[in-house]
Amino acid sequence: MTGMDAILHGGLQGYLVVALLLFSIGLATVLLRRTLLLQFMGVELMLNAANVALLAFARFRGGDAQAMVFYLFIIAVAACEAAVGLALVIGLFRHRDTTDSDRAASLKQ
Amino acid sequence: MFITFALITLLGALGMLLQKNVIVAGLCMVAAFFGVAGLFVLLANPVAAALQIIVYTGAIMVLVLFVIMMLNSHEEEKAQTPRPVQRWLSLALVAALAFGAVKLVMASAGLKALAVSGAAVPRAMTLQKVGTTLFADHLLGFEVAGLLLLAAMIGAVALTKRDL
Repeated sequence: MTGMDAILHGGLQGYLVVALLLFSIGLATVLLRRTLLLQFMGVELMLNAANVALLAFARFRGGDAQAMVFYLFIIAVAACEAAVGLALVIGLFRHRDTTDSDRAASLKQ
Repeated sequence: MFITFALITLLGALGMLLQKNVIVAGLCMVAAFFGVAGLFVLLANPVAAALQIIVYTGAIMVLVLFVIMMLNSHEEEKAQTPRPVQRWLSLALVAALAFGAVKLVMASAGLKALAVSGAAVPRAMTLQKVGTTLFADHLLGFEVAGLLLLAAMIGAVALTKRDL
């Protein structure tokens, strides 16, 4: 299964193209939207795109269990990132009364 | 089947990018995560699909929606300075990046060979296999991940507490 057929019926290239498009949409969200919470969701989307590519490669290498361990660690780091990132957004909102990243351009109070 | 889940994922992600209301964008994100979980099932990996739904839609998105409601920031605030040049430049950059990467993937001979040699569906991933690999080969990494989660938890509490 190669070419267009792989994209339509789930060959390796199909999964990789989905992962790439998912990553691009996440990157566009981070670059184009100004709300910090939406930018955060874009970062999560990019992490997910990497996971899709990782597990697609694992399946086409005969169901590698190492990839699954890697995926577990990525999920643990994503959970840490969510906790600390959201705490930072709440802290910013307390000091500046905004969740707009443009209005948080300076480190001073 | 693949194209269905791929479309759910990509349309959910696009909905998140384009939606004005932040809560609706978050719910589009949940749809995208469900689509990714479906893709994981098609990749003969039900363990990853279950983890995806439990951790991402169950924990992370609930946390995000909770914070959105707590801060009451349902709509994007008005831009202080409109930056049309930067916005169009970033859009063009992302489009060029996506187009180039997709072209590279489609042209790669190595990927084609891998897709042919690994076409047979492997046996579904089991928790037993994951657990054996995790605790036999990656015990130190597992402990470090636990420590990292603890540090993140304490850090989050310290950051949100008013006067520590």
